[in-house]
Amino acid sequence: MMTAVRSASTAVWRAGLTRNTWTLGVWLLLSALLIWYATLIPVFGQFQITSISKNSLPLVYLAIGQAIIVIAGGIDLSLGALLLLTNALAARLMDDQPFAMVLFIAIFLIAGLGILNALVGYIISVSGVPDIVVTLATGYIWSGFALWILPSPGGGTAPEFRWLFTGAQSGIGGTYIMPILMMAAPAILVFLLSRHTRIGLSIYAIGSDSIAARLAGLDVRRAKVSSYAIGGAMAALAGLATVALTGTGDPRFSVGANATLNSVAAVVLGGVALVGGTGLVLGAVAAGVILIMLNPILSAVGIDPNNAQIIQGLLIAGVMMVGGLVTLLRERSA
Amino acid sequence: MSKSQPLLATDKVAKSYGPVVALREVEFAVRRGEVHALLGANGAGKSTLVKILAGVHPADAGVVQVEGQAMQFHDPVDAMAVGIGTVFQDPALIPDLTVGQNLQLSEIEESDFTSWLEWFDLQDLDLDALVRELPLETLRVVDLARALARDPQVLLLDEITAALTADQAERVFALLNEWRKQDRAAVLITHRLAEVRRICDRATILRDGRNVALFEPNSAASAASGASTGTMQDIDEHELVEAMLGADVSELEESDEPQPTSQPQSDPSTSSQEVAFAVQGLNSGGLVRDISFDLRRGEILGLVALEGQGQERLFSLLSGDRQPSEGNILVAGSQRRWRAPSDAVADGVVLIPGDRLLTLLPNLSVRQNLVVPLFSRIRQWLRIPADERQRVMNAIDRLSIDTRAASQVRRLSGGNQQKVAIGRWLVAGFRTLLCFDPTRGIDVQTKLEIYTLLRELAAGGAAILLYTSELAEIQLVCDRVLIMHDGRIVDEQNAAHATEASLLTAAHGLEVPV
Amino acid sequence: MSHSPLPAQAAAEPAGLAARAAARIAEHPTIALTGILAILVLVTGFVEPNYLSVSGARNTLLQAAPLGILAGAQTILMLTGGIDLSVTMIATGSAYVAANQSPEGAAIAILLGIVVGLVVGSANGVGVSVFRVNPLIMTLAMSGILLGLFTAWAQTILQGSTQMGPFIKLIGGGSFFGNRIPYSVVVWALIAGGLIWLLRRTGWGRLIYAIGDNEIAVRLAGVRVWQVRITAYIVAGVLGSISGILLGGRTGAVDLQLANAFLLPSVAAAVIGGTSIFGGVGGYAGTILGALILSVLNSMLTFLNVGQAIQQVVYGTIVLALAWGYAGLTRRA
Repeated sequence: MMTAVRSASTAVWRAGLTRNTWTLGVWLLLSALLIWYATLIPVFGQFQITSISKNSLPLVYLAIGQAIIVIAGGIDLSLGALLLLTNALAARLMDDQPFAMVLFIAIFLIAGLGILNALVGYIISVSGVPDIVVTLATGYIWSGFALWILPSPGGGTAPEFRWLFTGAQSGIGGTYIMPILMMAAPAILVFLLSRHTRIGLSIYAIGSDSIAARLAGLDVRRAKVSSYAIGGAMAALAGLATVALTGTGDPRFSVGANATLNSVAAVVLGGVALVGGTGLVLGAVAAGVILIMLNPILSAVGIDPNNAQIIQGLLIAGVMMVGGLVTLLRERSA
Repeated sequence: MSKSQPLLATDKVAKSYGPVVALREVEFAVRRGEVHALLGANGAGKSTLVKILAGVHPADAGVVQVEGQAMQFHDPVDAMAVGIGTVFQDPALIPDLTVGQNLQLSEIEESDFTSWLEWFDLQDLDLDALVRELPLETLRVVDLARALARDPQVLLLDEITAALTADQAERVFALLNEWRKQDRAAVLITHRLAEVRRICDRATILRDGRNVALFEPNSAASAASGASTGTMQDIDEHELVEAMLGADVSELEESDEPQPTSQPQSDPSTSSQEVAFAVQGLNSGGLVRDISFDLRRGEILGLVALEGQGQERLFSLLSGDRQPSEGNILVAGSQRRWRAPSDAVADGVVLIPGDRLLTLLPNLSVRQNLVVPLFSRIRQWLRIPADERQRVMNAIDRLSIDTRAASQVRRLSGGNQQKVAIGRWLVAGFRTLLCFDPTRGIDVQTKLEIYTLLRELAAGGAAILLYTSELAEIQLVCDRVLIMHDGRIVDEQNAAHATEASLLTAAHGLEVPV
Repeated sequence: MSHSPLPAQAAAEPAGLAARAAARIAEHPTIALTGILAILVLVTGFVEPNYLSVSGARNTLLQAAPLGILAGAQTILMLTGGIDLSVTMIATGSAYVAANQSPEGAAIAILLGIVVGLVVGSANGVGVSVFRVNPLIMTLAMSGILLGLFTAWAQTILQGSTQMGPFIKLIGGGSFFGNRIPYSVVVWALIAGGLIWLLRRTGWGRLIYAIGDNEIAVRLAGVRVWQVRITAYIVAGVLGSISGILLGGRTGAVDLQLANAFLLPSVAAAVIGGTSIFGGVGGYAGTILGALILSVLNSMLTFLNVGQAIQQVVYGTIVLALAWGYAGLTRRA
């Protein structure tokens, strides 16, 4: 009896491992990089952990949002612009406000951008225009609004709000508990939502096979809109984290564009295939942290940080080529 | 309960996909306490009718009624809500999720589901298994058990027994008998007429999207007695076949005189024609086992098989799309090793796939579709042959393609689309033609044209391998016929003497009585 | 039986005037685009009467030429179902190399600049067609690699001149015929003619459309699809190079942000012009109009002095509206 139970549970574990090899691999890579980094620099402690975790926050949030949208079979090129929009709105509205008001604004923005992006998802679903074209266009619109709200870098937020994301009211140093908590809480929340609720599973379903999903009685449009709503809310969180990190707002178009592209890179590196239906949000989280960590690691080994771009690009292209080759060989042998 | 009010019915339902009319004013009614067969040849409109009843597609005209009430289904979920449970040909399960997650998505209690699994002897199924990793027959049972767990009043089963083991099929029949006793209803779509006789009470027969017959053998008597088998057993299978094929058969036979122009004439045993294409000991992944045959110039070699006997894999080997794990392919006597379809095409071996989605460029013009093979070599890229237009016009004329909707091939009718698929190789030229079910779902007129064309091509020296699911074609078009079962060639017959009965018997892997 | 060019349904239905017009626009999107362009030009002329002059047209064309060429690269790739997010980094890199080599003479500078596009385009093509990397990801990664490489090289092997030579400046920003016709527009016109010829009058063009519409069908028809894809990425890379060199010539000096802002407009111009991001549908004539529309829009918004914020909002709204309009039209037809 005991052995039967144990073998059943090991079977489940083994299935879980083989199915999520990629996610596991990304986390192992992250751990290896962390250990390597720790041995590279003379002192590795609270300061480094805080710095890596808080600097990763915006990209990790965007990657979570992008992952959900990609899992549902879409792609959102406006997430970076939504980050800009939140960043501008928050820096504008939160300046010189008490913490309670700032928190209220934050929640309002998260809900508001979730609804806004849900509307974008609805437009995609109704119009039949490809996701990539619609979000390209809305990306322009949102970054335009961001610039309109905050024509030049400025604005501010409450010190307590900065502490919430960075662990320090000044945004410098401080405890690593806050940034790690702020990274883990939404990540785990969205992960559980995506794997263990009906709406989360229906997001996987429409990305995996939208025809079967409809035949099985699912509301395909609702799932699509939900994925975009989550993406919008996560982009808002990324914008808020940016305000907390920098203590100010920066509406530059290029910031948003780069953030979008990095979110796509993190999602793909994290094992979420662009065709949809597969991968885990947690993989994108680890990949997001890895992309941010490359910078300090490279400077620690004495490589010009400019080369981080090259290594990052080679990493993405290389990993994808190996992936493509593996599927090709598997098809050949089948 | 009143039997006068049908549980599920349609009134003059019509449906077109673009220019292709799938259903015209179809009447269909299922009563409580009956198992109703929906029969028809390929392309008769059975699946379309099921999709309308299940809420997948709205009808263009007409109404669907449930217990006398007119219904407006926008989505499958609407049909489920009024007690219609459907098992489609392709399981409606999400490949990247586990069975358990699929149940959760459909909001079904695991216990309801597993009790039905037990009925089908699948209680050992691991609910944490990914759908992608399960075999098709298991998925069909899972799909059925899920539909049953919703406790429907009427079950629509589209070719449910096709992928099941004999044992599981028995359990489906037992279930249907149970269903009848409980005064519910079921609609069974099947090609297996023995099943119809055994299990069904009535049969509606469609042909070319129209009602052609309703078999209703004195239903009152058996229903009253609560018989455990259907009442169709008194019907002769030939009557059903005649109703399904109807005018098709007679039209084909009548039209024999003027066409096909050159009847199969060669006696294969004495033929001295050179072998254009041959395979020896072909094997692939357990689906194709030790297949060998010769194909001669001027010959049309038929291939017959039930669904899923490895014919798709065989054709993908023959066309260079896949490489065999063992065996040789010989073109004009010399052995070939193809790495891609381009190599096969370069050797003059060309494929007309069964699925038109695999051959057509749906948004492009007829002309663009026809000329693609003209540019398969890099040196052909920077020009367009001066006679491109002429060649295209010749092919269009020879096939009499209706060019009114020539700017986008997806707007053509199915028959015209198939002509375009064939026309591509008339434009480019070939020596060996591999045709995979070229007349599936095509109107009678176009079928005749295609038969004539194939005979003309053969008379012109081409070697043709023709897989067909329409057994009547074999006698009309082919010289010889091979029968494939479970990956092997199990029989060869002279097409002139290959009756549908002898072909079907052999296709089931049975000995044909001499 | 008559060989009427009209689709069967349209011929059968007693179509209303509006429906018939819609069908006509769906078949020939350039008609509607020309109308939109004309309206935009007139509105801009209303805002700034001086715009309706030779110099106004010259300035718009000067802006439109590099964008139009970049959008040409995007059009070819979108027709095959691909995309190139590295095309602006190719442009920037080529301009950088050309500026660096300008002391060696214009011919060498331009040639080496184009080599950048050849090499990068080939790499993209191999990644996409042989290793089957999603084009979005492949070119995104490539863009990062190029940015890193050129940032590093700017301090090492490409140290030195960031000024374009006089000939390239003339081609990129100069005009002839009494300062009326920009040289860059002549280059654009030649490229446009070449592209339209390639897409409409060659076997390669037939295959570009075909693999975008149904790659499997083209493979089964005996074509080696990877060859077509690789050449498409190479052509796109070369177009990116030419565009970058013209752009560098216009601005005179080169930096690593040179073509950055053109990435999204290059996609937008092709989308506005009616090329589908899924492949198989569209053409370069529409893209030319798309590039002109975006350039005129740019001028108008500059004259209106609304600032960059409103400019981006209007830009995005127009792209969305046109794409939505197309989707509606093609679905009805």
